Amino acid sequence: MNALLLMAPALLLLLAVFVWPLLDYAWLSLQAQSVFTGLEAVPVGPLNWQRLAADGRFWQDAWQTLRFALVSVGLELLAGLAIALLLHQRWRGRGVVRSLALLPWALPTTVMALGWRWIFNDPYGPINGLLQSLGLASVPFLAAPELAWLATVVADVWKTTPFVALLLLAGLQMIPHDLYEAFALEGGTPWQGLWRITLPLLRPYVFIAALFRLAQALGVFDLIAVLTGGGPASSTESLAVYAYLNAMRFLDFGYSATVMLGMFLLLLLGAAALLVWRRQAEVRA
Amino acid sequence: MSTAASLRVDGLCRRIGGRAILAGIDLEVAAGECLALLGPSGCGKSTVLRVIAGLDPCDEGRILLDGRDITRQPPARRRVAMVFQSYALYPHLSVERNLTLGMELRGVPPEQRERELTAVLELLQLSELRRRRPAELSGGQRQRVALARALLRKPQLILLDEPMSNLDAQLREEIRPQLRAILSGGRAPAIHVTHDQQEAMGIADRIAVLHDGRLQQCGTPQELYHHPANLFVAGFIGRPQINLLPQADGTVVGIRPEHLVAVGNGGLAVRVLSREWHGASQQLLLESEQGPLRWTCDGNQAVGDDLRLGWEQRHEHRFRQASGERC
Repeated sequence: MNALLLMAPALLLLLAVFVWPLLDYAWLSLQAQSVFTGLEAVPVGPLNWQRLAADGRFWQDAWQTLRFALVSVGLELLAGLAIALLLHQRWRGRGVVRSLALLPWALPTTVMALGWRWIFNDPYGPINGLLQSLGLASVPFLAAPELAWLATVVADVWKTTPFVALLLLAGLQMIPHDLYEAFALEGGTPWQGLWRITLPLLRPYVFIAALFRLAQALGVFDLIAVLTGGGPASSTESLAVYAYLNAMRFLDFGYSATVMLGMFLLLLLGAAALLVWRRQAEVRA
Repeated sequence: MSTAASLRVDGLCRRIGGRAILAGIDLEVAAGECLALLGPSGCGKSTVLRVIAGLDPCDEGRILLDGRDITRQPPARRRVAMVFQSYALYPHLSVERNLTLGMELRGVPPEQRERELTAVLELLQLSELRRRRPAELSGGQRQRVALARALLRKPQLILLDEPMSNLDAQLREEIRPQLRAILSGGRAPAIHVTHDQQEAMGIADRIAVLHDGRLQQCGTPQELYHHPANLFVAGFIGRPQINLLPQADGTVVGIRPEHLVAVGNGGLAVRVLSREWHGASQQLLLESEQGPLRWTCDGNQAVGDDLRLGWEQRHEHRFRQASGERC
């Protein structure tokens, strides 16, 4: 009884900011609430869910969101590891570079997305300016689907690599230095040390970084909303952008709630699958 | 003792930021011999070890291992094994993988690896623990794994950096004879760094006392105890500490607490200040006109007793006050 009392504040907070909105969305996904109903909620049963299952754009966006998250987080882990290893070495000016390297991450996403929109601008942006001065044709980075998708990945990697690097740097600093000394005395080279000591001991940190970044990247909204608006032809649209469009542009609140809940369920499924896989891997090891 | 020294260190110097950490250290360790490097913390004893291992650079001097100059060689090529104070076991690997990783790196064939692993696990009573991770081992077990790893290196020299400091007092005493037996079982010379004179005396054939980056004296435990070369060694070796009595002629007389004897007349007048009873003996703190004195005796004095103490001439150590050197 006492324990319950002590947990009550945290429990109530969780209920208020997490469980209650979720239940509200679940209820809303069973209503029609749009311009056609005069923005009144009208119970329609599973109609929204049937529409979602058959909605090509939803599944297309789900695939695009997943692709965006996997590719950009993968690149961030690689680049972040390289930067962390570099910043872990001793060299002159390392302190300054360490602080500078964090700057992209400290920048608000909308600001940096506007910056990248300008950089990729056709034909006035700096990249196209450079191409033109070399006598090449300018490239419509944000107007061609494959290129626009690449542009969102580049901008995301630029912004969040410092975060990954910081986490991995913290991990590197947790590895006792004498392990490397013992390893060297046993005849190991620094390159072998990277594979035999550094990477295995860094694994929990890589896992945490990947988890944080995947959770963020799968819900990506601001970067895409500002950089491409989901276009061209919704080729860069993420699920969060689609849900936003449903609510704020099409004023279809019932379906927007369904899209968001659908995305939530997909993530839950993915997370559960990952957990089971990890548990099994642990049992095998 | 064999005269063919296996390790020779000549004039070793190490400076950090203009400050001399080591100021010309000379050492010789014969094959199969164990030398203890003894000194208070900050005296540079661990640095000697790290420079010999190649983990810290050598600013001046030479290191010869079996006649081979290894002063500028990288650590990996020196065939030197080290037991770290922290043991430095790989936390993500099992005991057996901790032990075989080095052999794998050095290209030892798998059958030979398995053979040597089994032998060393047996020797150090680790066979039951081969699948455990370091985190699942006790301090003493970790120390044995670190020692096993050092032995598998087939080193020409074994360095031990305060290997006992993470163990409790009782375990230390249990392990000392085992460690001594294992070290003398191999042919490689060993250097054992410690700040604990009991440990140094218990393990080493000879002890080198280090203070302020300088070698004070090097000899057998008996030599150090009976013929300390200077005031520092006299004060550092022997517990309870030696009594030092300044004389009018600019010398200091040192007399060990157990060498004081009660006399009828003459000698020094003292009064008992406090008493610790140790079973076989008792440890008294005395007040005299020469300052406080320590006396180890088996009598039964009480606090407040007045008596007179003297000593035999042969037990007296004399040092010059100014230089601290033995007369």
